[in-house]
Amino acid sequence: MNERLNVSSSPHTRSTLSTGHVMRDIVISLIPVSAFGVWHFGIRALLVLLCSVCAAVLTELIFDKICKRGDTWKDGSAVITGLLLGLCIPSTVPLYAPVLGSVFAILFVKCFFGGLGKNFMNPALAGRCFLLISFGSRMTNYAYTDAVSSATPLAELANDHTVNLSQMFIGNGNVTGVIGCSVLGLLIGICYLFIVDAITWEIPVASVVTFALFIGIFGGHGFDPMYLLAHLMGGGIIMGSFFMATDPVTSPMTTEGQLIYGAAVGLLSGIFRVFATSADSVSYAIIISNLLTPLIDEYVVPLPFGLRKGAAQEHIGSSAFNPKMLLPALRLCLITLLAGLGLAGVYNMTKDTIEQQKEAKRIQSYKEVLPEAEELGYDDDLKAIVDGMAGEVYGTDFGKAYINDLIVGKDASGETVGYVVGVTSNDGFDGPISLSVGVDTEGTIQKISFTELNETAGMGMKCGDPEFKDQFNGRSVTRFTLNKAGGSSSDEEIDSVSGASISSGAVVNAVNAALDFLHENVM
Amino acid sequence: MGKTFRGGVHPLGHKELSRDIPFETYLPQGEMVYPLGQHIGRPASPIVKKGDRVLAGQLIAEASAFVSANIVSGCSGTVKAVDKHRTIAGTMAECVIIENDGLYETVPGVGTLVDFHTLSREEIIAKVKKAGIIGMGGAGFPTHVKLMPKDPDAIRYVIVNGAECEPYITCDDQLMRTHANDIITGLRVLLSLFPNARGVIVIEDNKKEAIRAMETAASGSKGISVKAVPVKYPQGGERSCISVVTGAHYGITQLPADVGCIVDNVGTVYAIYKAVCESTPLMERGITITGEAVNTPHNYMTRIGVSCRELLEHAGGLKESGAVKVMAGGPMMGIAFDSLDVPMCKNNNAFTFLASDEVAEAQKIQTACIRCGRCVRVCPQGLTPQLMSAALEKKDYDRYENKLHGLECISCGSCTFICPAKRPLTQEFKVAKAEIMAAKRAAQAKEGAKS
Repeated sequence: MNERLNVSSSPHTRSTLSTGHVMRDIVISLIPVSAFGVWHFGIRALLVLLCSVCAAVLTELIFDKICKRGDTWKDGSAVITGLLLGLCIPSTVPLYAPVLGSVFAILFVKCFFGGLGKNFMNPALAGRCFLLISFGSRMTNYAYTDAVSSATPLAELANDHTVNLSQMFIGNGNVTGVIGCSVLGLLIGICYLFIVDAITWEIPVASVVTFALFIGIFGGHGFDPMYLLAHLMGGGIIMGSFFMATDPVTSPMTTEGQLIYGAAVGLLSGIFRVFATSADSVSYAIIISNLLTPLIDEYVVPLPFGLRKGAAQEHIGSSAFNPKMLLPALRLCLITLLAGLGLAGVYNMTKDTIEQQKEAKRIQSYKEVLPEAEELGYDDDLKAIVDGMAGEVYGTDFGKAYINDLIVGKDASGETVGYVVGVTSNDGFDGPISLSVGVDTEGTIQKISFTELNETAGMGMKCGDPEFKDQFNGRSVTRFTLNKAGGSSSDEEIDSVSGASISSGAVVNAVNAALDFLHENVM
Repeated sequence: MGKTFRGGVHPLGHKELSRDIPFETYLPQGEMVYPLGQHIGRPASPIVKKGDRVLAGQLIAEASAFVSANIVSGCSGTVKAVDKHRTIAGTMAECVIIENDGLYETVPGVGTLVDFHTLSREEIIAKVKKAGIIGMGGAGFPTHVKLMPKDPDAIRYVIVNGAECEPYITCDDQLMRTHANDIITGLRVLLSLFPNARGVIVIEDNKKEAIRAMETAASGSKGISVKAVPVKYPQGGERSCISVVTGAHYGITQLPADVGCIVDNVGTVYAIYKAVCESTPLMERGITITGEAVNTPHNYMTRIGVSCRELLEHAGGLKESGAVKVMAGGPMMGIAFDSLDVPMCKNNNAFTFLASDEVAEAQKIQTACIRCGRCVRVCPQGLTPQLMSAALEKKDYDRYENKLHGLECISCGSCTFICPAKRPLTQEFKVAKAEIMAAKRAAQAKEGAKS
């Protein structure tokens, strides 16, 4: 008998589970939401997804070849990174954006830190944040719902506009959002993950519960179920909590650690969504929590069963469920609640003052742009026109411009001397730009003034400088054009701020929209 | 679903290969080999020499210390040598080698029936010690030592371990089906040593016939109950048994007696019955010959000392494709060995012949750790294998031992089994534990030399 026997240390058997299986399950779980995205946004969404996935896999493949480190690109983790990244950007972005994002995610966040299992933050989210910083508002420029960020439902709800929950749920509303915005698709995927035992409940549940508690307490609408639902469905909190925060590489190992980490994700998402201006609460919350993971794993190491206090005591008749298991969660809730209450106190104390200041600033700005007027007020007919188109893009030639307000200015004798138009452009580089345009009855611009300008410092922010905004003063034209080269000679031309043509263009469009609105409806 | 312990995994059982095959009594014809160190503790000292004639049931090596055990010949014949022989551990160890004459002449007095009620506590323990009984589930700890805790009155449970959670093995199942009454009598012998104790027989609920047989045998015996528990590895571990019966846990430096328990394998309890009530020393045991590579899997009741090759050949040999891996015990904690010319010892419950090596297959798809945390969830000791492995990667033994309590690992293999990245976790921990313990012993020796 030929006896050549293998010898190894026990155990001699292995589960059928493999890294490939784990990755495959996650990819499968993302198929429903991807399908919904492609169904709703069309072939363009498919292209974006393909670009991000292929770029991710290719990047890892090339890195493998250059560094001669085997075929790690085959393990499937790059596919997940690419897919997740593609799902959390809008289908309207230029196709090089997902490619850039994937390359950044795989190369800088994963490969450079040692590859699979060594990345210090979720590569897909890092890629998304990289794109957000690089592409500004193009990443988040859509009407009201998206998967990972959602400042907008908040704005809608704050303005008492209703959000169509069923459309948000299915992801088929008349909306432009990120590709993976279908909550239904996400839920199908989540069910699959639980069925095949690919995720555990700790992180997502801690995150969603903490987030809901936070929104309930500080969102300003209490625990109104519809309001909470809109926040839960409209904002990447589902995608983030179940698919991103649960990335095992960047989340803690132990049950206790996972509860703390999940609560941190929920808490930070809540804080960012309610108090911060950034559109991307969940992305940043998860990335910051990722960085907490090593710390949590260092400090939250449970004692082995045999060394725990009272371990030797008999617990006859007790079930496998031990109420003590809930203690860490309860403590966390308490800490969250206290921290939240503290924040709420500060917020409430300052809320009215902030509102008053905003109002004062607005009136101040109206007076500033129409100095001749002694008295500012509304004309009922004109106000009806403005209210009638609330939330709709004005005209077709002005990009995403919105007319918010129309004030009639009168002198001491009650004679109309001019108008102030409040206008917002969503084409800014880093978010919306709002301004007031003062025009006299002849159609001559008196002055413009910004009420909201958050562009890049030193570039787009220069739109607020007199060199730029005073160009409009005293001109009587119906349509301005932007001169990117500078050195304009005609009345119609406005010199762009150097290096900030997007911001400058948005301002010019906004002013044009205001003038157009006046010519159409008033003069 | 019944109560279970925390953690654990569900490896494929493979018990269908041999579970319904009744015991076949086999008297070996070939050479018999008795390693002197087949138990935990100091190796026994041989009391026979080359050329001596021995009978079945005769003492051939004597316990050399408190924690040590007698060894009894399973056959009659002539001592061929007291010399090095290959063992399951893969080493050449000191053994008594007996040329079997096949006559099975037995020492007079063996088989004499005794009523254990007439025996004192000391007499019972002396009989157990004389019979050379050790833990027959695998550990091989001398049973008489276990039966002498500091405070016998503090023992509240005598747990008979019939879980048999290791895949493939079915000899305990068969033993419970066929010798239920003897096992219950053995348990009653044990209970007579511990006045405050109740007897609990723990059996995984995939062994319906064994549960029924034990329940029938136990009915009418006061203070004895059968506990059917869900199938989950490592239910058959001492700690899992205690956890599932009492809910108590204890550290690696403690013994079951510290939480008021004595745990014995069904095979051990049967051996105690034979020694005390039938005056028969430990010379035979049940063993399963199984695995995909075996032509006809068997459950044998055979004599200790028989060679693995003889048993395999009697069982019909290997299939043509041959075996890739052979181990003593099951695939979770069994010991793989590379030569079939090794003797079966007191604590061997199976020889498993595998036609494929999952370990070799798994190594091909090994990846970096993805930190999925499955190892943490399945650890029956409540440890964090991933963090322990990461500490070892940095050779940080201090963190491994003191912060992560890595010495609490019982090497059950659950973490290695479940790992999707196919990391050799248990194996790393075995090496680390051995190194740490060696360093401790060296430090102690140094300390001792100084003073």
